[in-house]
Amino acid sequence: MNIFKRKKKIIKVPIVTEEERAKPVRCKSCGRLISYAELKKNLKVCPYCGYHFRMTAGERINLIADEDTFSEIDTEVKAVDMLNFKDVVTYKNRIKQAKERTGLDSAAVTGKAKIGGFDAAIGTFAFEFIGGSLGSATGEKITRLIEYAKKRELPLVIVFSSGGERIQEGIYSLMQVAKIIYAIDSFKESGGLFISILTNPTYCGTATIAMAGNVVIAEKGASISISGPRLAKQVAKKNILPKLEQAESLIENGLLDIVVDRHLLKSTIVRLLKYYNRRRI
Amino acid sequence: MKYLLQFERSLEPLYKELEERKKEEKPTIYTEKKIQQELQKIYSNLTPYQVSQIARHPDRPHTTDYINALFTDFLELHGDRKFGDDPAIIAGIGNLRDITITVIGSRRGYTLKDMLSCHYGMIQPEGFRKMARIINLASHTFKSPIVTFIDTPGALVSTNAERKGQIEAISEPILALFKAEVPVIAVVIGEGIGLGALSMSIANKILMLKYSFFSVISAEGGASILYNDKRKSEELSSNLKFTAENLLNNGIIDRVIDEPIGGAQRNRETVIKATGDAIYSELEMLLKENGNKLKENRIERYRKIGIYAD
Ligand SMILES: [Zn+2]
Repeated sequence: MNIFKRKKKIIKVPIVTEEERAKPVRCKSCGRLISYAELKKNLKVCPYCGYHFRMTAGERINLIADEDTFSEIDTEVKAVDMLNFKDVVTYKNRIKQAKERTGLDSAAVTGKAKIGGFDAAIGTFAFEFIGGSLGSATGEKITRLIEYAKKRELPLVIVFSSGGERIQEGIYSLMQVAKIIYAIDSFKESGGLFISILTNPTYCGTATIAMAGNVVIAEKGASISISGPRLAKQVAKKNILPKLEQAESLIENGLLDIVVDRHLLKSTIVRLLKYYNRRRI
Repeated sequence: MKYLLQFERSLEPLYKELEERKKEEKPTIYTEKKIQQELQKIYSNLTPYQVSQIARHPDRPHTTDYINALFTDFLELHGDRKFGDDPAIIAGIGNLRDITITVIGSRRGYTLKDMLSCHYGMIQPEGFRKMARIINLASHTFKSPIVTFIDTPGALVSTNAERKGQIEAISEPILALFKAEVPVIAVVIGEGIGLGALSMSIANKILMLKYSFFSVISAEGGASILYNDKRKSEELSSNLKFTAENLLNNGIIDRVIDEPIGGAQRNRETVIKATGDAIYSELEMLLKENGNKLKENRIERYRKIGIYAD
């Protein structure tokens, strides 16, 4: 089967409307106003304080992949509501809205690209699609990407940006964590390089998956934790809120290899790919 | 009966009557029958939320009760060899009749002191790493089947646990169970929540007690995330499809162990015995397979899980 049969160019759907584009953005960290054009030019990093704004899946791919080299795979895998789930809105509606707003069919975009001239399998979680949460379709796409990388002996780069398991898919969502963890292990055992990139935020089971990288990189200020903030508040009695762990404190505890500024993310990945390419076989 | 759940309150006067009659040395058969009828009424029409409350009933048998009653010569093993020994995980080797088994289970504690040291059953990084070590010991060295008893509110959420690598530790028992070349049986005996429960559940056969549940998140936790309102727990419980019956129907688990009317908290011995019988009969089947095949079966089983359009 030709995996590229259904290939399509990376989603160009704007998450930001024209109206919003005209308005300046207020930095969540320092409170200063920044024009959208300026923010975009600076890779969505606040030019005053260095706060890293969230990126969409499309922006991520454009940041890491060499220009015009990305071809998407497994676009036919789409999120569905299997439990007839309803919270504030029905899950069916939530999926529909997310699809319309983002042009995506799940919270993962996966494919093949060149990064600094090196062929690689690349995937990213899309926070803009239901909080980047890990549902069955997302889990299946990530698993297939790992298997794709293993089969073709490609290095694997995955960018995480996710609130954790997708509650609306119940136990199926939890099981994706196990499925992916095994796939990664099998990939690594075959000698593959998995560069894992944790961005703001990476929570719960997705954080556990992200920690399976051979090299684990986090963006500056990324919030990384076994639970999201609301759950932490619910679990901690009497509102003793455990401070969510930021990348900077986790690296001190030996959990990460590198914390990088977004401006250096791609060059860091490329250096690793270069070293991997020089391995003595 | 020490503790009645909210939906069992109609039993209160009956239990009082029973106690009084016992004190006055009057016959109690009629009162007992009335209690049984009332229980029948309550238990024949339970909502998923009520099932989750039964699963957490303080009088339900704990992992330690199953170990004490079912396994002879149980030898407990401690520690992760890296940092510490999580009391929320009990592990060791014992005999179920003629089969030597490695047992791993979550522990909630009976006394307040125990409950606090076990964090009410929430697992710390050293607990996950201890499990992985014992699983490997079973697979590589003792070549014994593994049985896990799941009764946990999940992984511990605390700054301290994060610093010790909670997010990384969880994957260790998951991988160890995937790779174990021995039969693995997981039994959910009470609450099975989130990554904590997942880490002990990678098995060839997953068994659940009738009034236990296995969920991506607690109804309370889910309600605070989705609604920012804990009071929506009841509504969410019906949506999560987390009861043994739900999970058997959608093929996630393999077998439901029956509990009599009134639940395991009122029928401790019966339920413990039924659990032992169920584990034994499943093991008899699994022990006919070779270790590598059992491992492949587990990998294949989890690879297939997920519902999506393609
Ligand atoms: Zn700023």
